[in-house]
Formats: sequence, C-alpha cells, structure tokens
Amino acid sequence: MARGGENRGRLLLIILIITSLFLITLDLRGVSVIGGVKTGTQSALSPVQKVGSTILSPVRNFFSDVFYLGRTQSEMEALREENGKLLTQLRERRSIDAQLEQLQGALDLAGKAEFKVVNARVISQGATTSFTQTITIDAGSDNGIRPNMTVINSYGLIGVVKTVYSGSSLISLISDPSFRIGVRVAGSQQIGILAGQGTRKGVLQLLDNQSTIKVGDILVARGSVNNRPFVPGVPVGEVTSVDNAAGAVTQTADVRFFADFSALSIVSVVLKGPESDPRDTLIPAKPMPTPIPTVTVFVTPSQSPSPNSAGTD
Amino acid sequence: MSTRKVSLSALLFLVVYVIQEAFVTQLHIGGGGFSLFLIFALLWAALSSPDIGALTGFAAGLLIDLSQSTNGAVGQWTLVLILVGFGISYLGLGYENVRMNPFTITLLVTGSVVVARVIYLVLSLLLGEKVGSFTSILTSLLIGALWSAAIVPILMPVVARAYDFIDDSRHRL
Repeated sequence: MARGGENRGRLLLIILIITSLFLITLDLRGVSVIGGVKTGTQSALSPVQKVGSTILSPVRNFFSDVFYLGRTQSEMEALREENGKLLTQLRERRSIDAQLEQLQGALDLAGKAEFKVVNARVISQGATTSFTQTITIDAGSDNGIRPNMTVINSYGLIGVVKTVYSGSSLISLISDPSFRIGVRVAGSQQIGILAGQGTRKGVLQLLDNQSTIKVGDILVARGSVNNRPFVPGVPVGEVTSVDNAAGAVTQTADVRFFADFSALSIVSVVLKGPESDPRDTLIPAKPMPTPIPTVTVFVTPSQSPSPNSAGTD
Repeated sequence: MSTRKVSLSALLFLVVYVIQEAFVTQLHIGGGGFSLFLIFALLWAALSSPDIGALTGFAAGLLIDLSQSTNGAVGQWTLVLILVGFGISYLGLGYENVRMNPFTITLLVTGSVVVARVIYLVLSLLLGEKVGSFTSILTSLLIGALWSAAIVPILMPVVARAYDFIDDSRHRL
C-alpha cells in the first residue's frame, strides 16, 4: 500500500516535470498561446498595480522620512503631534513634487531634442525572482508604445522597451548586466560599447585602440537605424575612472550612469526620434560653483594711540 | 484532496500573488528586496506532503512564470519550484523536528529560496541567457537570503494557521 503511494508520488513528480519542460519548449519555440496567457495575466494585473502604486506612493517616501526623523528624534518629539497633519500633507506633496520634477525634466529633455514622447508612471520595479533589472510602466500599446523604443527621464537614458502589453510595458534598464549600448564620447567621434553591471556603474570598452578617454568625459547614445532601439544624442553617463592596463587591446573605463534607477517614478518613452542627430546639445550643463561673498575690512590707524594700548609695552 | 481544499488554497495563492505583484514590487527595499509569494509557496510546501509540495511548486512556479517581471522562459520557474517544493516537503516529512521547530523551518525555507534561485540561474545559463557578474549574483543571493530569513518568522504563523484551517490539521509551529 505504502509502496503504491510512493510510486504514485513519483509518477506525479515525473508528470509535473515533463509538463514544465513541455512549457519551456513551447515558450522557446514562440507558441503564441503561452505569450497570450502572459499578456492576459499582465492585462488583468495592470489596474491592480496602478492602484497599488497610488496607495504606496506616500509610503515609499515614508521610509526615507523615518530615517531622517530618527536622527533628530529628540527635537521632533515635542512637535510630533502638532506636525503630524503637516507631515502627512508634506509627504503627499513631496511625492507629487518629485513626480512633477521628473516629468518636467523628461519633457525638457524631450523638447530640446525634438522627440515625440509619451510619459508614463513607474508602477513596478525590479524582479526578485530573476537576476534582471527591469521596471514596469503604466503605458503600453494603447499609448503607441512598441518594443525596442528608447526610454528616458530628465537625466538621460533609462533603458529600452522590452515587452509591451495593452496598458503597461516592461522596460529593461541600462544597468541590467545583459544590456549593451553603443555610445559616443561627447565632443569627439570616439565610439565604444557600454555594458551594464547590475549597479549604477557601467563598463565602457572603446572600439578603436587608437582612441583615448579621460575621467569626466560624457557619453551619449550613438543611435540606431530608424531610431530603434536607441535615439541618438541622449546622455548616458560620465567616465569616472579609466583602466590603462598595458596589455589591453582597447581602453576600458568605468562609467557612472546619469539616471538614478532607485528613484524612478516618471519616465518618457520616445515614440519618434529627431529628424537630425542632436549631437551634443542634450548634455546637461555642468553645475557652476556658487560664488561666496567675501568682506574686506580696511583699518585706518588712528593718529593718537588708544588708552587701552597705552600701557602694553 | 477535496474540492474545498483545492479551491481555498488556489484562492489564497492568488491573493498572495496579487499582493506580491501589486504592492511588494512597489516598495523600494534595499538589495532588491524579497519575493513574498516565493517564500509563501515554499512555506506552504514545507507544511505539506511531498506530492502536495510538488503540486504547490507547480502552481506557484506557473504563476511566477506568468509575472511580467519574470524574464525567463515560461515553465522555468515551474520546473524549479516543482523540484524545490518536492524537496522541502520531503525534508519536512522525513524529520518531525523540522516541522515542529520554527528555527529549522526558517532555515529550511531560507535555504530553499537560495537553492531555488541558484537552480533558476543554472537553468538560465543552460538556456543561453546572460545573468550578470559573479559579484552581483552573489550579492543578490545573499541579500535575498537575509530578507527571507527576516520574513519567514513573520509569515510562518499566518501560513500555519491558514494551512490548518484549509487542511483541518494541527501543525504546531
């Protein structure tokens, strides 16, 4: 009897494994039923995710606020009750302000480059069940988004549209370890391949062994045929260190991406690229040092010695 | 297995899945965060018999595969969770202490999360996907394990009560 149960268990396990292998095979062969089910699931979940995003929007800021409040807890203790309502309003306002700022920045960049864009809110971030770096936005094929479109924000390039659903899209971030993009060093014709490393840092490999690069150089997207997946001229990042290894065939460098992937809330998908390459016009201006006012004091010695200094000698 | 058990379990899994997709993925948690659904599914499997553990893994894996944030082939997580679900329930069934001791359950589920992710990684490599640098993978696995170890003790009483209610059995955790 027990042996019968054991055999039945083994049979079940084998059937389940074969089913999963069958599913993998079907998916890799591009059977539309599998894709259809996935799209259907996403279409059903998308409205719930939008609700979740709206509800949790103040909570996301709350985590950072708690950290800040913890440092000045003693001072805040007495005023907490009085400030409760104001803080709640402020959190909500901060969230809206941050989104507005990101939206304004993205629109400024898109406007300068003459991109036709559609703006979208980030409704989901990251994938703990895989090792890829992605975000989900609340705009999809209904808004004109197609796969392989460039995604930007106010700082520059964010990623590329990977999968499109009717009301949402999955974006592959440039920080993803599998992400590769052709870049150009601003102000020159040097080109290279920039690879994501899973963090805000990327690694640039120049294609020409005669080219040289230095710390502080700005990288912009080279652009692709018909502007997909990359529109040209979008700022990508800045060189932070250069590897000058003697045996290397070509020079490599570490690059810090302009975009902060941990604080994305509003992004823009480029529906139509510019008529002509904007070259280096989209590169953000370097911050100017704030002048510090100085005061010069002129002292005119008096003709007669003061009474205090009379007896010092 | 009665229809009541199956339907109640399916409903519970769907609710946790929606919570994971709609809310947990929204939080900007350090180190990539955690998968509440994965932890829940493995805890459920740990309380079940090997047959049910494998079936739980199959259903949970299929749902993860259908998630928009999963980039691998459909069936990849299904395969991983069938194996891990069967394994964790087999270990739990073999040693009564494992089922009784909260610390051991935490250790078992945390280890299973890591093992599941490693198997997924190996499968991804076999299927020709790029998975990133060794350091980033190691960091991700380590942080994932720490989050799991923190979440399991919180989730465990809730899952055990729900399991008792649906299964009409009494597992003392």
